[in-house]
Order: sequence, then structure tokens, then C-alpha cells
Amino acid sequence: MELSRLCEMQGISGREELVRMAIFRECAEVLGEENVKIDRVGNVIAHKACAKADAPRVMVAAHMDEVGLMVINAADDGLLQVRNIGGIDPRVLVSKRVKVGYDVPARDGKPAQEALSGVIGAMAIHLQSAADRKNVLPIENLYVDIGAKDKDEALAKAPEGTPVTFDTPSSPIGDGCLLCKAGDDRVGCYNLLRLLHAEVTCDTWFAFTCQEEVGSRGAYGAAFRIQPDVALILEGTTANDAGDPDETQKVCRLGKGVAVSFMDKASMAQPELFAEMMKLAEGSGIAHQVKMAVAGGNDSGPAQRAGCGAKVCVLSVPCRYIHSPSTVLCLEDVEAQYLLAKAYLTR
Amino acid sequence: MDIFAYLEGMAAQHGPSGQEARVAEWLSERFRPLCDSVTIDALYNVIAVKKATLPTPDGSPAPKVMLCAHQDEIALMVADILPDGTLRMGSVGGVDPRILPAATVTVHATGEGQSRALTGVVGALPPHLMSAQDRERNYTRDELFVDLCMAPEKVKKLVRIGDLITLQGPAVRLLNHRAASKTMDDRSCVGCLLLAAERLQKMQHMCDLYFVCSSQEEVGGRGAAVAAYTVDPDLAVVLDVTFAPTPQCPPDTTCPLDTPAVTYGPYVQHRLLERLKQTAKENGMKLSGEHAERWTGTDADDVQIARSGIPCVLISLPVKYMHTTVELLDMDTLSECGRLLALFLAGIDEKWEDGLWN
Repeated sequence: MELSRLCEMQGISGREELVRMAIFRECAEVLGEENVKIDRVGNVIAHKACAKADAPRVMVAAHMDEVGLMVINAADDGLLQVRNIGGIDPRVLVSKRVKVGYDVPARDGKPAQEALSGVIGAMAIHLQSAADRKNVLPIENLYVDIGAKDKDEALAKAPEGTPVTFDTPSSPIGDGCLLCKAGDDRVGCYNLLRLLHAEVTCDTWFAFTCQEEVGSRGAYGAAFRIQPDVALILEGTTANDAGDPDETQKVCRLGKGVAVSFMDKASMAQPELFAEMMKLAEGSGIAHQVKMAVAGGNDSGPAQRAGCGAKVCVLSVPCRYIHSPSTVLCLEDVEAQYLLAKAYLTR
Repeated sequence: MDIFAYLEGMAAQHGPSGQEARVAEWLSERFRPLCDSVTIDALYNVIAVKKATLPTPDGSPAPKVMLCAHQDEIALMVADILPDGTLRMGSVGGVDPRILPAATVTVHATGEGQSRALTGVVGALPPHLMSAQDRERNYTRDELFVDLCMAPEKVKKLVRIGDLITLQGPAVRLLNHRAASKTMDDRSCVGCLLLAAERLQKMQHMCDLYFVCSSQEEVGGRGAAVAAYTVDPDLAVVLDVTFAPTPQCPPDTTCPLDTPAVTYGPYVQHRLLERLKQTAKENGMKLSGEHAERWTGTDADDVQIARSGIPCVLISLPVKYMHTTVELLDMDTLSECGRLLALFLAGIDEKWEDGLWN
């Protein structure tokens, strides 16, 4: 599936059904349905064996979910009250478009459903006090407006629990970059789907995990089931390289290749695996960089500690403005992530 | 007129104050089939004239009425190009910095003697790298930057300091005939002018009508002042947006979304206002009211004192979230404003000034 299309698909943590089914179908097409499974937390796990005896068990993982909002109630004037699912700075929400509910194609005799458009507004600047201008509007004071006239209409159209996603059509931007929502981590899903076709030389387990953004809930079960010797996590990670920040604040750089982590807040890369990744990248001329900050957590944590433990390494695509409606990533970095993961699986 | 289609079209235009040339062209095309003549003046005001269709009974010249709504929009400009090619922003009109983080913008680049529209994203230092204290306050404009996702050398070639930056905010359709987009302030009211002109095709009117899409309102009513001089009208109706209720608004500052509003105060001619209200009443239309003890914050402030003075009334279309890219209105209210305007204009005759000043 195209990366731009994958990013446009809706799937907040715990509500990954649309992404899950699309990924399941593609895995089944490539590897045969008998080699693909949806587990009981909602991960898609696909298996590709190799001819080599005693090949190591390798898990390659990417998460399907994205950060978003969830409806919790409506106010008397018909505005939807929401809470964030996953980490979202409330400052990126003001004056943005969202989709309320999911666009669901007609299936199994059920009619198609269409998401509603909504907007997140804020009081006009003319009416703001000095304190209003200074203080961040917390999520409790931000509302999604779908045009409903009152509470009853709002909740009839968007009941409690309705998922809300950013409304960002994917589009090219600048030189070889993509502007999208959910780049974290549809980019990993995209490359994982491409890797289904690789002539692997290890016993390869593809894990499309759920609920990473709310504590890597899916990765626990996936890693427990797979019991890998090695786990490669394909991620999108914050770059913070634009706007002339201090060199020390940069995490990684857009356009400089796949970012290999030696450590983040969830795991430490196994030193030999880390060294092997660097060597593979250098040997094959794959653009790469070391992630410069110990920041962010991801599915590597559960993977490292599953069963009797696994060697892990995280390979990330640098993302600017991550967890916002306007994530930017560089397509060459996406390719580099694919090439490095492929180089490992086929070495 | 398909109102949503118009809103989609107008929200795709870029016309920052002082640089309205292209939006003026686009709006001229909308007025041309409905009027006798359309011109664009030196400040990019669009002036569309529809001559009277009925003679005055006493043979006196047709009263001249100016109808005014502004076409310009709040915007930003390139204030500096940083070493890594990202851009610092200056303001053109009252842009609320709170709406900027992660917004998409269009940079109207003029480097190399060519104009190019480049898409950019507004970035900021991410929260996990800020102190807890700084996370509790809003970003200021000078902490934010526009990222064109290009190499710095290329940015320096394409972009000049002073190039304009407009916000992106395509129109979306909401429930209950509501819609949201950028520049509802005030191109939605230009839509009211178009609707009135359209209705008047099937009505008779004794006055000459001057539809004005004014420029530079967001920086101080400059286009309207010039247009009022040029047109030299007997009276004027100004249309602008006002505040519809949103959470945390101070009391007595808003008008309901579903009703056109009129303004009470010294800058508005009170007898003309009574006539407008009478028109609404006779046609079963609801109006709400707001007050302006002094300036109205609209083109009316400048039109009232143009030449030797011009009596004005002000019709307001309530909009939620003003000066954001999701300004939200009720398309039925927009339609009602157009109807009210058409009916009011059809009622203006040679005796329009009788009783105005006593």
C-alpha cells in the first residue's frame, strides 16, 4: 500500500480496525492466509520461514496506531468534549480540522459510514485577556465543533468513545518530503509491508502492533508469542532539527538517513546488534545516522523483556512535528529504513 | 448561488491586506454577470455597479448606495531567514499566535523574479525539550518558524524577506448547514453582497448600487475610505462578521450564530437602522443586536466620515472562532443577510433622507 494512503487511514490506539484489516489482507495476499494471524490484543502477526536450518527468530515490528482524540461527552451548546489518546501537545490543536468517527466502506451487508468533519476553534483574539493569550488552553477547554445545535444532537452523531483523528490529506512538501498525519508509525508499517516480499535468511516474524502510543500494549503479546532472538523496531521518531535549535537539542536530522538508536527510554540496543547495523549500513552505502538523544519509548521495551529476553535495535525515520496534524518526513529516509532492515533480514 | 461552493472558492484565494490583486480578480468575475460594470481601483477595491431599474417618481437622480464588505485577510510575512532555511514570521493584521503551531501555510515567494506558492509547516521547539514552566504558556510568534522542507541555499534563492505568508484553511461542511474555513472574515459577507445582487436581478430598485469588496480592512479600513470617496454615495451599508458564542467568551460580547445582527451606537445612523429593522420585521426575519460605544472595528468607521459624511448601517454575520483558520458560520444566516440586504435596497427611494435627522 502507498505510504500516503496508509497515513490517511484512521486508527487511534485501541481503534486500529481499519488499518488492521487493510494490513491483514495485504499480508494474507503475499504470505498466504495460513501464515497471518490477528491475536487477542489486536496485533497482526505474519510469519515467513526460511530454508536455513537453525535460522534465528527475528521479529520486525511497527505499530499501526496513531495519536488522536476520543469523544467523552458534549456540552449543552453541542460542542464535543474530547481527551487525547496518546501524547498530543494541546497547543497544536487550536484552529485545526478533524474527522469525527471513521470512514468505513460498505462491508458484509452493512452500509458505508462517513466520518463527520469537525473543527477545533478557540476564542477570538479580540476577546482574549492577557492571561488568555499567555496560558495554554488545556484539553479540558478545547472542543470539537461538528456544527451540532445541542448536546443531544452532538451525542447522537458522535457518542461517547467516538474516535477523532486529524484531517490531513497526505501531500508532497519541499524537496522529497511528505506532509502527513500518523507518519509515526505508518512509515514503519509501510516498510514492513514491503519487507514481506524480501528473500529472508532468518525465521522472520512481522508484527504490526497496536496501542503503542498508550504504552506499547500490543507489543507485549506479540513479543511473547514470537519469543524472538532479535527484534528490529521500525519507528518514526522526533527529529527536532529545524528552526535552528542548539546542536545539543537535535535528535536526528531529516534527509540524513535512517536513525539507529543506541538507547531510548524503553530499551538499550544490544551492542553487537547495534554495531552490526552500523556496519551493514556502511557496507551497503545506506544513509544512516545515530539517534543523538535518549528520548522516546516504543515497542522495543516489551520486545527486549519478552520471555527470556531478546536483542533489540530501533531503526527510525526522523519526523518533524511528530504527534501533530502536520508531520513531515523525508522519503529518502523512508527508503533507508527499508534498505537497512532488508539488509539485516537477507544477510 | 451555491453558498458552500462559493465558500470553497473564496477560501482557496490568497489576499493579504495590501496584496489583494488576485482575490480582487476572482471576486470581479463573480460580480460581472450580476452588474453593469466592474472595476478594480488603485488599492484593489472591487467596485461593481448595478444601475437603478426604476426611475424616481419626481425625476430626481437615483440615490447612490454603497454596500461594503472586505476581501482582505490577516496574514504573515517573512521577517527573517534563519541559517537552516527556516523562516521567522512577522504579522500582517491580527494573527493569533495560538493558531500557528503545526499549521500549514503558503509562502508567496518572489525570489529570482518569479512568484511561487510554497507550502510550509509552522514548527516550534517540541514540548519534551521545554521546561515544565514553558510548557504551560503559549508559543510567541518569534519562537515559531515556517519550515519549507528545503535546503537553506534553495530557500535563500527562492524567498525574500517581506514575502507574504497566508494561512491554509480549506472550507469544510458541518452539520446543520454550517461550514468552517479561513477568511469567513470577511469574504462570507462578500458572499452576502453576491446573494443580494443575485436576488435583485428579479426585483426592481430605484437606487444605484455600488457593491464594494474593500481592501486593507485588517490594517485599518483604508480601502473602504478610498472607495467611499470614489463612489461618493448618499448612504452605505457595511457588512462584517461578529462574534458568535464560544466557550470562555466574556459576557455581552457575542451574537447567536443563527441570526443576522445589527449594531447600535453613534457610528451607525439610528433612523436608517430603524428602517433596516422595519424591513426585517415586515419580512418575518429575526435580528439580534450588538453595541459599539465608539468604533465598530469595521469599514463603517471609515465610511461614515468619508467626504462630507455618509450615513451608515452595519449588518453583522456571526462567526465562531474569528481570526482562526476554522471560522465557523451558519450558511442559512449568510443567506438571510443577503435577503435582508436585497429587501432593504429595494425599499430605498428618493425620499430616503426624510426624517433621518429629526
